[in-house]
Amino acid sequence: MSWLAAMRMAFMALVSWLAAVAVSFVLIRLIPGDPVDIFANRMNVHAGDELVAAYRQAWGLDHSLIEQFFIWLKGFVTLDWGVSFVTGGSVSNELAPRLAWSAAIGFGGMIAAICFGTFLGFRAALHPGGMADSLSRSMAVAGQALPAFAVGLLALWLFAAELRWLLPFSGSTVERLVLPVALVAFFSIGSVSRLVRTGFAETAAAPFMRTALAKGLSRKTALWRHGGRQAAIVLVAGIAPDLAWIVGGTAIAEIVFGIPGLSERVVDAVSSRDYPVLQSYIALVALWIIFGLHLCALLRHTLDPRIGSLPSRVQ
Amino acid sequence: MTSERSHNYLPVALLFVGTMLLGAYWQPHNPHAVDLNNVLSTPSLEHWLGTDHLGRDVASRILAGARPSLSAIAIVIASSIGLGLAAGVAIGFGPPALSRPVRWLAQTALALPTLITALLLATLFGAGLLAISAALVASTWAPYALSMSALLERLRGEPYWLASLALGSSVTGAVYRHMLPNAWPAIGALAGADAGRAIILVASMGFLGLSADTGRPEWGAMVHEYRIFLFSEPRLVLAPVLATAMAAFVLNRTLDRS
Repeated sequence: MSWLAAMRMAFMALVSWLAAVAVSFVLIRLIPGDPVDIFANRMNVHAGDELVAAYRQAWGLDHSLIEQFFIWLKGFVTLDWGVSFVTGGSVSNELAPRLAWSAAIGFGGMIAAICFGTFLGFRAALHPGGMADSLSRSMAVAGQALPAFAVGLLALWLFAAELRWLLPFSGSTVERLVLPVALVAFFSIGSVSRLVRTGFAETAAAPFMRTALAKGLSRKTALWRHGGRQAAIVLVAGIAPDLAWIVGGTAIAEIVFGIPGLSERVVDAVSSRDYPVLQSYIALVALWIIFGLHLCALLRHTLDPRIGSLPSRVQ
Repeated sequence: MTSERSHNYLPVALLFVGTMLLGAYWQPHNPHAVDLNNVLSTPSLEHWLGTDHLGRDVASRILAGARPSLSAIAIVIASSIGLGLAAGVAIGFGPPALSRPVRWLAQTALALPTLITALLLATLFGAGLLAISAALVASTWAPYALSMSALLERLRGEPYWLASLALGSSVTGAVYRHMLPNAWPAIGALAGADAGRAIILVASMGFLGLSADTGRPEWGAMVHEYRIFLFSEPRLVLAPVLATAMAAFVLNRTLDRS
């Protein structure tokens, strides 16, 4: 890909992110209910004019909306995410350790889903109609039709209460992460394996497979060696819905397994109108989804240069 | 998945939705009646699923809890199909000034994570069914619109379409007469998946503690309320969990023929 195309892609991603963040910035501030009033109520103090003015100044609410946005944007880029309206602490300091937990669950779940899904999809393509094929199909159905918190709670009940294999709330970091990562992965394995299976199946029907078999390669080796690229192309083209699922799935996993991640704080911020926390969360989620989509498009282009370099939905 | 196989679920689904409808309006006990002399009792003839930590009848609460799920399904299917079809026609037949932005919106909406959208909309409208429905509609109309417009584009090349226009029928009339019958199978499959997703979303928001009215029974909110009893009284958690999972699964399997 030329440098120009790469620059164009990065620029498009940046513009989409700015648009998403700006829209949410305005929407959040249209919420009925003044944060200073809510804060005063919560603290049980009378919201006199002087106090309100002081807080509005301290929280930067006395600037115009456009000024507020640019102040916030500069802060976000320089990792100064403002002051929480509820705790009064720095949002960056508060969210950083939570972000680490959430990212561990999200990335862990995604990597696990890709590994297991690829394995399952490959086995399914190798023996169509076999056990791996039906398992991958059932997982795809389950991923669509079952609520994540239900599966999470059942897993918690089974592994922690009945079998007593894990200490999900008080064990070591790894022990606490096993079930959340497995839960996030569980809901993506099905779709990943179906995509990978489609990719390998295309190769299995290609004429060069016959040549590879005639050369003396086993079916397994031939399929893996020649179909890997096609499977990867289909996977990066179809994984977009899972990028969004990772965010929602991580939120549910955190609540089910009592992980002190981002989501717990965000649910709390919703009820207390904690703008800076909500705004940082939206910016992070948008960053993950938009750059994820563009990264997929870039990968797809690298794997198959005939495909354009922008995400199909942007073109 | 063949259509014969998914037809097998139809009676089950009808039975299920029928029970949900019935349960939403009739329960053996008052789902709110607190009885502190009879807390955490095990299942009996009087209380089919026992009672909770406040002595309320769990079976009655499960039945009453079907109501928010049913409303969400109704809202989502009605508005997604309405909005989706309208947008699909706008993409397919509107002038470029209309069709381009609508198509762009639809493609953007495809990437919206439903749960996160619901969470954020709850910040705007307050936690409740309104935020949940708005999020569902916002993220579910797009597939309808895009598949409808793709269908329109294909059908526009068909001779019978040109013939019907040549015979003098209006575009709206021709869409109604020739497009909708063709669109129905695809729309039905999407609607089934969405009905299942609506149930899951309502319950997930309730579970996160963001359902409208914590006093009113709702499956996800019940799981949220009872989850401290997961180890001591698993029945309290399993009942709403299974109700949600079964409802979502059955609906998804019945109408989704993909």
